[in-house]
This record gives sequence, C-alpha cells and structure tokens, in this order.
Amino acid sequence: MADHAASDGWIGARLLRKEDARHLHGHGMFIADIKMPGLQDIAFVRSQHAHAKVRQVTKPADAAAQVFTLADIGPLHILEAGPELAAHRHSPYPALADGRVRYVGQTIAACMQPTRAAAEDLADRVSVEMEELPVVVDCIAAMRQGSPRVFENWADNAFITSTVNEGKPASLASAPIRLRRQFRMNRQATVSLECRGSLTYWDHRLNELVVYLSTQGGHVKRLGLSQALGLPEHQIRVIAPDVGGGFGGKNRLMPEDIAVAAIAMKVGHPVRWIEDRREHLLASVHCRDHAYDLTISADKDGTLLGVEGDVYIDAGAYALWPTGSFMEASMASRNLTGPYRIKHLKLNTFTVATNKAPMGPYRGVARPGACFAIERMVDEVARELGREPFDLRKQNIVTAAELPSRTAAGMRLDTGDYIASLDMARQMIDMPAIRKRQAAGEADGRAIGLGFAFYTEQSGHGTVEWVKRKSRVVPGYESASGRMLPDGSVIFHVGVQNHGQGHETTLAQIAAHELTIDPSRISIRYGDTATTPFGFGTFASRSIVFAGGAVAKSCRALVEKIQRIGAHLLQTDVANTRVEGGAVHGPSGKISFAEIAYAANVRQEHLPAGMDPLLDATATYEPTETGGVFSYGTHAVVVAVEPDTGVVEILDYVVAEDCGTMINPMIVDGQVQGGIAQGIGTALYEEIPYDEAGQPLATSFADYMMPCAPEIPKVRIGHLVTPALATEYGVKGLGEGGAIAPPAVIANAVADAFRSIGASFNETPLTPRRVSEAVDRARRAKGAAA
Amino acid sequence: MTDVTIDLNGAKVSHAVEPRQTLADFLRELCGLTATHLGCEHGACGACTVLVDAQATRSCLQLAVMCDGRSVQTLEGLRNDPVMDVLKRHFHECHALQCGFCTPGMLITARDILRRLVKPEAQTVRHELSGQICRCTGYAGIVDAIVAAGQELA
Amino acid sequence: MKAAPFEYVRPGTLAEASAALGRDGITTAAIAGGQSLLPMLNLRVAFIDLLVDISRLEELRAVTETPDGLHIGALTTHAAIEDGKVPDLFGGLLRRVAGQISYRAVRNHGTIGGSVALADPAADWPGCLMALGASVRIAGRDGVRSEPVSEFVRDAYTTSLATGEIILGFDLPRPDAPLRWGFAKVARKSGAFASSIAFVVARGKGGPVSVVLTAAASRAHSCSQTAEQLEQGAGSDEALRRAIASDLLTFAQDADSYQQRLHTATILRAIREWRAQ
Ligand SMILES: Cc1cc2nc3c(=O)[nH]c(=O)nc-3n(C[C@H](O)[C@H](O)[C@H](O)COP(=O)(O)OP(=O)(O)OC[C@H]3O[C@@H](n4cnc5c(N)ncnc54)[C@H](O)[C@@H]3O)c2cc1C
Ligand code: FES
Ligand code: FES
Repeated sequence: MADHAASDGWIGARLLRKEDARHLHGHGMFIADIKMPGLQDIAFVRSQHAHAKVRQVTKPADAAAQVFTLADIGPLHILEAGPELAAHRHSPYPALADGRVRYVGQTIAACMQPTRAAAEDLADRVSVEMEELPVVVDCIAAMRQGSPRVFENWADNAFITSTVNEGKPASLASAPIRLRRQFRMNRQATVSLECRGSLTYWDHRLNELVVYLSTQGGHVKRLGLSQALGLPEHQIRVIAPDVGGGFGGKNRLMPEDIAVAAIAMKVGHPVRWIEDRREHLLASVHCRDHAYDLTISADKDGTLLGVEGDVYIDAGAYALWPTGSFMEASMASRNLTGPYRIKHLKLNTFTVATNKAPMGPYRGVARPGACFAIERMVDEVARELGREPFDLRKQNIVTAAELPSRTAAGMRLDTGDYIASLDMARQMIDMPAIRKRQAAGEADGRAIGLGFAFYTEQSGHGTVEWVKRKSRVVPGYESASGRMLPDGSVIFHVGVQNHGQGHETTLAQIAAHELTIDPSRISIRYGDTATTPFGFGTFASRSIVFAGGAVAKSCRALVEKIQRIGAHLLQTDVANTRVEGGAVHGPSGKISFAEIAYAANVRQEHLPAGMDPLLDATATYEPTETGGVFSYGTHAVVVAVEPDTGVVEILDYVVAEDCGTMINPMIVDGQVQGGIAQGIGTALYEEIPYDEAGQPLATSFADYMMPCAPEIPKVRIGHLVTPALATEYGVKGLGEGGAIAPPAVIANAVADAFRSIGASFNETPLTPRRVSEAVDRARRAKGAAA
Repeated sequence: MTDVTIDLNGAKVSHAVEPRQTLADFLRELCGLTATHLGCEHGACGACTVLVDAQATRSCLQLAVMCDGRSVQTLEGLRNDPVMDVLKRHFHECHALQCGFCTPGMLITARDILRRLVKPEAQTVRHELSGQICRCTGYAGIVDAIVAAGQELA
Repeated sequence: MKAAPFEYVRPGTLAEASAALGRDGITTAAIAGGQSLLPMLNLRVAFIDLLVDISRLEELRAVTETPDGLHIGALTTHAAIEDGKVPDLFGGLLRRVAGQISYRAVRNHGTIGGSVALADPAADWPGCLMALGASVRIAGRDGVRSEPVSEFVRDAYTTSLATGEIILGFDLPRPDAPLRWGFAKVARKSGAFASSIAFVVARGKGGPVSVVLTAAASRAHSCSQTAEQLEQGAGSDEALRRAIASDLLTFAQDADSYQQRLHTATILRAIREWRAQ
C-alpha cells in the first residue's frame, strides 16, 4: 500500500488494487482451474432447431448411463420467473427439455465423461428425433394476429404488456413539431471473457452439495437451486471463486446450473461443465434487442413536450429466474424522458416471447436502448428546427436548482448539475474547433461528425423500488460481517461478489477510513455462502452504495465496542476517548487496537464487567432514499465516417460525469473506460442476428465482432463531484453508466456527419453496411427531392 | 495416445496425449498450469497466448503432439523474467486489469511486443493488441502500461 | 469446444507425407500452421480421420532468390514475411500484406501455403499472389507440377490440389522494373477476415497493371477492365468507377449495392495509394 500516505485519508485515494497480484502472477483461481479427484466433464446435447417437439432421445447403448435426460435427473421443480404479477405469463423452463424446445441451443441432454472432449464425442452420438414447429423470430411480428406461438397455451406471444400514461398525452396531437422515429437496438451477448461454469459435488462428510459457480451472487443462486432441487438451503454451499467478468450474464439461475447440480447428486463424484464460447453465444444470457416506435412532440421554440409510442422487448423463449426480463420494459419506459422536462408520456410496452435464447440483464439494463431512443430524438428535433443539438439539450434539461426533480416517468433525480456536465463535455471536446474542421472538409473524403448524449444511472435503489417492480427477490439491502482478530487485523465477509470491480480494495478503503487503520491490515472476503452473510450479489451498480454502507456500519459497531474496551483499559470514560491511528486515545495515554482485540478475543478477564467477548459485528445497510441515487454524465464523441464503406472511426471520446464521492478515482475511471468499451461494442460491432428459421448467425468470434484495442479509444474523463445525500460518504453507483450512452452518442455523431443530407442512424450496431446504406438512402431521397 | 515431451518452463515434461489434445489443455489439464486461460478456443481472444520456441502462440491452436521437442513458456515460467517484472509493475500501476482473466495472455503478448519493438507508441501497441480481447478494462490501462514499460526498458 | 478424435502422423519425408495423405478410405488433411484447420476442428465443423503433420518438412521451408524471381516455401509464416525475412523484390507489398493478416500470434504459425491451400474467399495471400503473377509449385506422387495461383484456386475452399498433393511453395517472377503497388482492405474489426481487399500492382511506369479484388466473390478475381484503364493512363474517377462496375459484373453479379460501393471504394483507395508511389 506504499503509494498513498494515510494522512490523506483513504476515501478518495487512488489506492492500487489488492486483487492484482494473484492475476499478474497467474495465480487467479477461476472455475476451470479447480481440480478434484474423480472429476468428470459434462457436455450438453443442444437443440439444432428453433422450435420443435422432441420425439425421442436415443442414448448410445454402450454409454447410456452417462447420458442424462430430464427423466434421469428429476424430479426437479420448475421455478416461476419474472415479476410477481398475475399478468406475467409463466414460461416453464426445464433444466433439460421436457418434450419441447423453443430456441436453438436449448439443453436437451447432458453427457458425462472423464474429459470434455470425450463428453462432446458422446453428445455427438446421442440422436434426437425432432418434429419442427413454426418459428417466430421478430418481436413485432410475434405480436401480430396469427403469428406462430412460442407457448401454445398463451393467448398471444406477450409475456406481459403494460401502458404508461403520464401528464396529458392527448394534448400532444396539436404540437407544432411531431417526429415519428423507429429505433432498434439489436440482440447481442454479454461476453464475459470467462464463460460460465459450474463444478459441483456432494460432500459426503458434510452431507451437503458444494457448488462452485461462476456467478455474480451465490446466495440468490443457492435459494434458486434449493427450490429447484428440493434440497434444504443448509445443505447447499455455493462458492464463487475468481469470476472472469459477469456484466449481468452471470446473474440468473440457468438450466445448466440446475442440471449439473442434479447430476452431481446422482453420481456421487465431482462433475463440471465449462461453457465454451459457442455455447456462450448460443445460449447464455442474450441482451438488448429493443424496438421502439416513438413520436416526440416539441414546441417551435424547442421545448420538448412529450413522447408517445410503443416499446418492444424481444425477451426470447423463456423468463430466467428470478426476475425474467420484465424490468427491461419498465426501465426502458421510465428512462424515455431522459433528464428532460418532458411532461407527457404515453407508451405501450410489449415484452415478447420469440424462438430465440432467453434475454437477461446486461450492463446498463434497458437504459442503453432508452438513451439511444431519446437522445437520437433530441437530435432529430434539433435538426428539424435547425438548432445545435447541444443547445436544445441545455434548454430542456433540468437545472441544478430544479433538483431533486421527479421526471414524468416517475424517477426522482436527486443531486447534481447536469448543465455543468454538458458544458464540461462541450469544452473538453472543443465543439467550436470541430465545427470549424467540419466546415473545412477532410482531404480523405471522410465526413466528420460530433455527437452528444446525456445519461443518468440509477443506483442504490432500495426496498420500496424493488417491491414496486414486483421483484421476486428484493435486493434492498446488503450485508457485511466484520471480525477483528486477536492481533487487531480485520476480516470482512460481504454478500456482494467481486468480479473485477475492485471491492477487495475499495471496501478495504472504507473500512480503513472508519477504523483508522491501514488497508493492508484488512481483508475483504466474499463468494462463499458458508462464510458470508446473506447478500444479493453484484449488479445494478449497487455494490459500493450497499456493501460500502454495510462495511461502514459494521466498522462503526466495532469501533463503538473497541472504544468502550479502550476506555476501560485506560481507566477513563468513553466520553474522554477518541479513536485515531488504530488506537484509542485517552487523557493519560493510548492503547492500540491490537491490545484491545487481544483482550476481546483471548484475554476476556481484561474486558469491562459483563461485556461479551469478541469483536464481531454484522450489519445490513439500505440508503435512506430508496428510489435510488443518480449518477449522470455527458458523453461527446467525434467520428470520421467513410460513406462508401460505412466504416466509422472514433477520433475523440470524452465524458463529463458525476458519480458523487469517489472512493477510489482510479477504479472509477476504469469502470467508465470499460463500460464505454462495451457501449462501443453495442454501438458499432456486436450483434447476434437470427435468420428466418431461428438460426443464430453469430456463434463464434469469427462472426461476433469483439472490439479490441484498435477499436476502442482512450476516453478522456472529466469529473464533477456532487455527493449524494442519501448514502454513506455521498457515493453513487457507477458501474453501468459507461455502457449506457455510447450507442446514442455515436449514432448522433454519425448522423451529424451527414446532417446536410438528413441521413438517419437508428439501428445498432452501426455496422459499415448499415451506415453506408443509410447514407445511400438519404442521398437518393435528396436526389429524388431535388 | 502419443508420447510427447516438451521443454516446459525450463524442465522436460512428458505425457501421453491424444493427438487432438491442444497445447492449452495439455498445460491446464495435464501439467496443472492454469495461468493460461481459454476464452474462445478458436484463436480470436488471445487469453491462451504462450510462447512456443519464444514465439507468441495461441495454445488453443497448437496440438500438443506438434509441440513435441519444442520449448514452451507460460506465465508461470516467467516469474523471474526481468521484462515481465517491469510489465507486471506497470500493469498494476496503470489499472490494466479488472477481472484478471485476460491478464496472462496480455502479459505474454506485451512481452512479445517489447521484445520486437523498441519504445512502441500507443498507436503501435494498439495495433499489436488487436487479437487480445479484454472485456473489462476498455484497454486504456493496458496500452498505457505497455507503453510505460517500453519506455522504462529502452 | 474440443476437436473430435483423429489420428496423427509426422512423416519424415515429403514422399511419406504424400503417401499418408493419399491413404484410401479415410479423410486426411495436411497440417502446417494449424491456424485455420484447428479452429475448424475445435468447432467440429471439419472432421478428419488422419492429420498429416507437414510442419517440419525441410523441402517446404526454402526461401530462395534467383535471377528469375523468388521462391517462397509453403511453410513460410506470415510473421517471417512481415519481419522481412523474405527478400523484398516487390517494394514492400509482401510485408505490408503479411503484417495485416489476423494477429501476431496467429501470424507466427500461419503459413502462406496453408492460406492458399485453404482458399478462403477472404484470405489475403491468394489475391496478393495473383496480382504478382505467382505460380504454385506442387509435389504429388507423380512428381512436381506448377500452376499459376490464378488457376490453382478454383472456388471457395476449392483448389486443383489432388489427393496426396502438397504445396511446396510459390514462385514469384522478378519484376522487370521497380514495382509500384496499392493495397486496401476493409474488415469489420482489426485482424478479422476482410469484407473487401484490393491489390493494384504495376511494373514500372507504364508497365502492365494488375488489379485484383478479394472477398467479393467465392475467390479472388482480376479486374481487367480497371487494369486496362490504368494502363492507358486514363482514369478520371468516373471512368474508373465505370470500369470497376463492369468488372464486378463479370465475377460478382450477386454483389448488392452496398457491396458494389464497398468494393469500388477499396479499389479506388488502392489505386490512390498506387498512384502516390
Ligand atoms: C482468428 C484468426 C483470424 C484470421 N484472419 C485471417 C485473415 O484476415 N486473412 C487471412 O488470410 N487469414 C486469416 N487467418 C488464417 C490464417 O492466415 C491461417 O494461417 C492460414 O489461412 C492457414 O495457414 P496454416 O498454415 O495455419 O494452415 P493449416 O491450418 O495448417 O491448414 C489449412 C488448410 O491448408 C492445407 N494445407 C496447409 N499447408 C498445405 C500445404 N503445404 N500443401 C497442401 N495443403 C496444405 C491443410 O490441409 C488445411 O486444409 C486467420 C486465422 C485466425 C485463427
Ligand atoms: S482461447 Fe485461444 S485465442 Fe481464445
Ligand atoms: S480484465 Fe477482465 S477480461 Fe481483461
């Protein structure tokens, strides 16, 4: 911990990460790195068809015992997934097919062998007799009369529909400016570099099932596994070792998790399944896949009035436990006003089942789509009015004086200065210089475009918010259990999961701050249901707010007791003592935490009369404002676009963001840069198209384009710091923000490059083909008009 | 099964392997060397990069049998390598890793870049990293770290 | 994602390799760098009974410069060419092409022979070698034969290679005047297979010009009308666009309007680079 002097305080320190060393030396321990005697590998037989009846599964006679179908691993309970709303239709999702498959890649049988290669050989020898059924792959077509149905007993293909009606949308019909636009954010995968995986065995000594799972939250997975397997929770231990990225994709209970666990219970030796990249692209959590048909209304002076229209979420074939993808629609609609003073909102949302892989959460959940739609529309209104889009944003966005402010869609924006962020981004990108450059034109014939987009990111939302969302589990708190050991060093067990976020470092900084000791004396432990208090895991930008708060509370309980013991040992009143530098100071001297902890743990005779031994405090934490706190920021980007090839190059990318108090600015910047890289993937590269038969067309990295270093610019990041009022230290979550605005800002920049011909870029990813075709369409339209 | 002998991190290692076994699986499953990660198994992500006869190599695209008699170095074998030491320090200081899954392949690749190019600039480093996927960091810290290490070593 | 089982041999001589590849009743394949074959095997989109390792055959390694030109052994890796380990008779074109194929770790093993033998429609070498007028030298059970690359590559993943035949290497004629060239490539991301590659190569000023387009059809094709325009020294952008359009009609009839724009753009870019030399 050399490079930071404790006197500066630990909150806000650019402390280098505690978790780096093991990875730098190749000692990370990921699921696939774990060896167990007797371990066997699983490979799945997966559906080749998008929709079919499974007539017969024939096992090779010489290995029938190593092939498992649903009948072989049952009985299993199917968990109802999605919000707890009667209107949400149940889509029973078995661990292995029960006579019907509804997407390409669905698990039909599991094959077990000593190596993965042999398991795949066996899977190739299992023959599956199928009867193909009609397929539906487009979420809008799926809602038309007469569409084939994913579930026969549903009246149509909607998991659920809803309407939003705020203000007086009827008044919009007479608005002077009404622009109707369709947007698509296409389907992609989450693509953690480490795929999913499970290594599971029955521990005969402890009489419990041990599940090593690459997951973002072990406790909730245990809950689900317990219900699915019918095994009491005290007999299940879920351990997440090092997790090589999650981004939402490792936060649902998946059929493979259940199947592997059920097989482990049957066979009595360790079994594992390590997802490969093709399986990941085929059948892990898919995401995005929103379609919008919206009309924005505005006054002639540029005042934005309202948004109306339809929001479609292509949720794929099944809802994933626990919450399904219902939140996509509600979050998309709740973010469709952006931070603007838009008063009227009328939306119909459709969360639709199709014969595609089930949708799950991905960094930014729903907001990249909503941000794309509203920010594109703001630019379109500006273009219609001949205004600078930047100015139109500034005119309509809520000012610092108006905060806190409730949007038409019901979000309570808390603290910040949105206009300051807009101005900062404008200054950083140097808008006048870009406008000049555009006017001069480029020697290479490329068109230069400048775009802005603003986003907000809700985090730290608590019980009330999740209950409102009808969530099946209510992640309204987080927990931390602190224990000071006899030598005064401290271990915290937390319920969140670290898979790159740096919690071992940032939570230690918080504890160091509270306990006034060096972070090197503090360990943060997580990822084992046997040792950590119940918690929900890491998602929704919640960890620093919730786990940070829980660690702080646990520390304060420890300090309170430490101080009492210290006062006793110093023979003075608690009121006469203070805690500083890892010691309790009294009028006559000081006593170190180590001495106090020694007494509390192993020399109880020194404790005040009647005091219980041990320094051990478990705390839970929920912020005071349960609607959440909002990070926000402005992204600005300059692109160069070659109209004929459609290739987009990012020349400059800046962010002016505010996530409240930063515990560790280095980690904040890392999250922003990393989130933006993923957002650029959504904006320009990543896509899983399906053909009409429901066959996915990107099942390897040969077809699924992953941006690498040449594709991702170094983002210039500017910070505003407006502490939140409702959280410890004024922190706000920031893990997802980076991923929200890139599709919007890049599409706005590309559109800006071609503003003279009015080309529209309303579908992601903006592949070279889409870009070039949009330019061509606009040129033709203009040619035809002229 | 075919017998294969590889000079692995400076010591001779022999195993009987199936011809189809990749070098990556040989290292991970037979030799217990798990720093080498698998992110795609079709050559596109770079997580599995090791050195074969000192050349950066996708270990998922090498058969163990084809490496018979060759020398292979993994991150584990470069513990006392002076260039690697400098790189690791800069990776740490530049926040060049988050989940750490890409890190071993990145380090091996970074070392290969610095072995071939003197004081590479950011643009060059980016081009050289074009086959290494990092899903977490957005590459900025990685590029900074390699550039800084290149300057220190020049 | 593991390959299905196969057998493996590493013959010590070319003749043994040829014999092994010609074994009856089974599917055989040579493996050189493995950088195309292994992904296909791992993904189980290719199934081979017997893999014949030719990667250590000395006969395939030779790189020799003669008065007539250059012979590049089939096992020469992209990286060796990138690093200039192959004499440069072509004004740096080979190095430039090599350095943009895939990624360094793939280039360290992938070979020029494997690239041409596979005949991926989007591969870089077949088009480049065509533009340079190279021929492929092939060893079979009945001796050695030679064929221009432009004829050797027949279609997507299809060549004139007969069972048991092995590519020894490529003969690239020495240009009779300093070579001027242009090269343009568009890919969805760095290092990915291209959606369009154009080569423009001319011997000296006013010498014959060769224009080759890759990834527009099932194999690389010469754009003879465009080349003719360039040879005549004519070449307003408009005239060139017309020539490109009619070239595309001869071999890329299925190209939609985006592909036409894309290919036209890469050819024009390569021409600009060629002109600037
Ligand atoms: C991620 C990735 C991206 C790539 N991107 C590109 C790219 O953009 N452009 C590009 O051109 N290539 C690309 N490649 C392919 C790469 O260039 C391969 O190296 C090359 O195509 C094949 O060479 P190889 O030596 O590895 O052949 P192998 O994989 O060993 O063999 C390929 C085929 O050629 C046959 N073969 C090999 N050598 C001979 C011989 N001497 N005689 C007869 N038959 C032979 C084999 O039997 C096999 O059918 C990429 C590869 C990967 C993994
Ligand atoms: S695992 Fe080898 S390149 Fe991805
Ligand atoms: S740090 Fe997670 S993939 Fe690079």
